[in-house]
Amino acid sequence: MKELLKELEQLINKEDLDLPKIQDLKTEILKNHIKGLRIEGYIGDYPTFMEPVILGDKIKIGDDVLIGPKVYIGSNSEIEDYAEISNSIIFDNVKIGKNFKLDNCIILKDSHLNFDNFNKSNCILKGVAESEDNIEIYSL
Amino acid sequence: MSEKRKKEIQRIKELESINLATDGIRDLVVQTKMEVERDNELLAKQNNEELREHKIKSVDIVGAIGAGKTALIEKIVEILSEKYRILVICGDITTRVDADRIQSHNAETIQINTGRECALNAYHIHQIIENKELDDYDLLFIENVGNLICPSDFTLGTDKRITVVSTTEGEWVIEKHPMLFKMSQVAVINKVDLAERLGTNIQKMIEDAKEINPNIEVITTSAKTGENINKLIEILEL
Repeated sequence: MKELLKELEQLINKEDLDLPKIQDLKTEILKNHIKGLRIEGYIGDYPTFMEPVILGDKIKIGDDVLIGPKVYIGSNSEIEDYAEISNSIIFDNVKIGKNFKLDNCIILKDSHLNFDNFNKSNCILKGVAESEDNIEIYSL
Repeated sequence: MSEKRKKEIQRIKELESINLATDGIRDLVVQTKMEVERDNELLAKQNNEELREHKIKSVDIVGAIGAGKTALIEKIVEILSEKYRILVICGDITTRVDADRIQSHNAETIQINTGRECALNAYHIHQIIENKELDDYDLLFIENVGNLICPSDFTLGTDKRITVVSTTEGEWVIEKHPMLFKMSQVAVINKVDLAERLGTNIQKMIEDAKEINPNIEVITTSAKTGENINKLIEILEL
């Protein structure tokens, strides 16, 4: 799976985004490679997890968070209170604010979305931003 | 509204206790509670329609921790896995211990760790249904989080609900938890193999269930010895 995640990351980092290919690869990873419940590496107060969910190491999760089904979150990421994430891949070292609702999304490595109340489906998100007007969003 | 106040409302919502709301937010809390209940009912209805559309029979199993819900599902799945393609959704605060036990009997399992929530709700089931190829299954069991209180707040959209109690919980357990028996089609009194040794009055338990809900089917079982498991399957029309 690591290889596929790397391939996905490379596809997203290209200047010309091949969106159908990205969506296919994302679907392949979530459908055939994210299995069961691997959630040992999180720091937080008992969020809700719906299988399948795979978490990396040292992930901080806030209160009243719902994660899954079909979610991968990379190491050192931070998910704040009231988030709901399904069918999504979040790479390493990502920060998202309070009350994010994401379905079928990808957030690129090192993205810091330092704002609250964000509801989005079918998209790629990247950047470091204090408001949603300043992040890069690509529709999937 | 401040973040602190939002959090306060959220917590009250979770506790489902409008009495704790200060006068200033009472209306908002009541409104939210009504909306949550209405949304759950709507989603439960949708879940049931979708499952029926795919010809999937569905059963929700509730009961206290240690009543024997998992053991009963293990026995049922053991018998039915040749006949049906079975999916079992297991709700627990944490761990996938029950899901692993059931999975060893030829059923696919999905674990939901509810964290601080004490029951599954229709949205949890909706999310699972939306993300599964429903044509791959004929039968769905949902093992709810172990307790006899919270699951009465949320229907899930299954064809039938079973409430499981055991002789080890004492003969007052049904009388003390009427709500779940009111909304169930079947009451299972499990661990009958221990009744004599414990001196539990099973007849009282049966009468209590019937008094609370005259339409409920009551059956005594032992998941350990297999007593009446086939009869339970018959009652469930599986």
